[in-house]
Amino acid sequence: MALFEARGLTVSYRRNGISFKPFDDISFELLEGQIVDLVGPSGSGKSSLLCACARLLPEAIGTLALKGVDSSSFSAEEWRRLICYVPQKPTVIAGTVRDNLLLPWSFRVRRNDNPPNDKTLCSLMDEASLGDVSLDRDAAQLSGGELARVALLRAFATKPDVFLLDEVEAALDNDSARSVSNLTRKLIGNNTACLRIRHRPPDGVADKMFRLENGKIFQLECAEARI
Amino acid sequence: MDAGVIDIGYPELFGAAAFMLVAAVVAWALRLRQTKAIVIATVRCFLQLLAMGLLLVYLFKYQSWWLVCLVLIGMSLAATQIALGRIKGKALNIWPEVFGSIFLSSMIVALIVVEAIVHASPWYDARVLVPISGMVLGNTLSATAVAIDRLFSDMDARSDEIMAYLALGSTRREAAFPSIRAAIASGLTPALATMSASGIVQIPGMMSGQVLAGADPMIAAKYQIVVLLMVSAATTLAIVAICFTAYRKRFTSDGCFLSPALRNE
Repeated sequence: MALFEARGLTVSYRRNGISFKPFDDISFELLEGQIVDLVGPSGSGKSSLLCACARLLPEAIGTLALKGVDSSSFSAEEWRRLICYVPQKPTVIAGTVRDNLLLPWSFRVRRNDNPPNDKTLCSLMDEASLGDVSLDRDAAQLSGGELARVALLRAFATKPDVFLLDEVEAALDNDSARSVSNLTRKLIGNNTACLRIRHRPPDGVADKMFRLENGKIFQLECAEARI
Repeated sequence: MDAGVIDIGYPELFGAAAFMLVAAVVAWALRLRQTKAIVIATVRCFLQLLAMGLLLVYLFKYQSWWLVCLVLIGMSLAATQIALGRIKGKALNIWPEVFGSIFLSSMIVALIVVEAIVHASPWYDARVLVPISGMVLGNTLSATAVAIDRLFSDMDARSDEIMAYLALGSTRREAAFPSIRAAIASGLTPALATMSASGIVQIPGMMSGQVLAGADPMIAAKYQIVVLLMVSAATTLAIVAICFTAYRKRFTSDGCFLSPALRNE
């Protein structure tokens, strides 16, 4: 059984009197342990697709399911706790790196969960080659690459079932991007899956590749993803 | 108290309109295109205040609780309309929230003052309740407009952050909370600034009026302190109520954030 399923996803909206339909009747699934790349030209609706999967887009219609359970069985907050969307632009709040990593535990949806302790956070930081960055450091002083990794770690620390990564390596240099790819591979366990938008050449981390173009989704050959 | 009041004759009153020539000359010299607005504001000021004077004369003479309540509701409706008019950009459908916040906060505080501090008898004594409510309403409408404006502009500026919060599982309120906090702080600032400046920089309106009407300055000062405190309380209640209800207008019921790009404005 697929870990995550999207059936008949359609997004349409009007802007300034003009109708747009970025994609229409899209269906796909993600299996446990899978990393899937989503590619396509700019404006083809890749980010909208990820937002729709996280129930962050009001104009989306279609069916979503996690482990066979329909998304309507979950509240929006509970769904987003399990299906975690990481936006392209890393968002940091005023405070330390620790404050940023623990932000999700300040929300009601995790009121019964214990936040990770400093030891766990430090080991995560090590995994992301951020071992030399103190948890007490002011997040505003981090570089772009460090911010992107902290935002990614924050999502990984919440241990969702599905990661939706919206070109999180877009603003990074090649080394940092490689580091983020490796981190993603390392942290995607057997019980999770990841759909990530990428514009860079394949990094060999993905198991499958989808192309979104002209409102439809196509699966590319695995070989292309394994280059 | 009337003994000390110096009446203003109608020729002098209309002559005072010449003061508006200062604004008119500035508007003309700097080509501000405000001439029409200056004329309208002046005419409205005359008509509305004289109408209010006539209404109060009638109210004081034939006052009954329902008539006073009707006047207070009318004043609250006008305050709501003015507050919404001051919000920049497209006003959302927040009329009920604004009216509820302004009306309830102002009336609760005004009635507490009338009953517990001024000890007016009867409680609906128009000579006490109407001017006190008017002062509270005037201040709450300004603070409410400032707070709403700040709330929505801050939420728009924080679009990316709000999306990130929601994506991490926050509720709508949790995502909007930093903006709510900023809006409440900005709404409170004018009232606190007025309190700090009163007695040093300015003699506030009510105290000035009472002194001009021949009242003992100490009595006038005590009234003014009560007024400033009640204005502060009503303002706080109103902006807290409006901020904690109006933020929802930027979200769908399913917790999707309606960013500027999605609102099609």
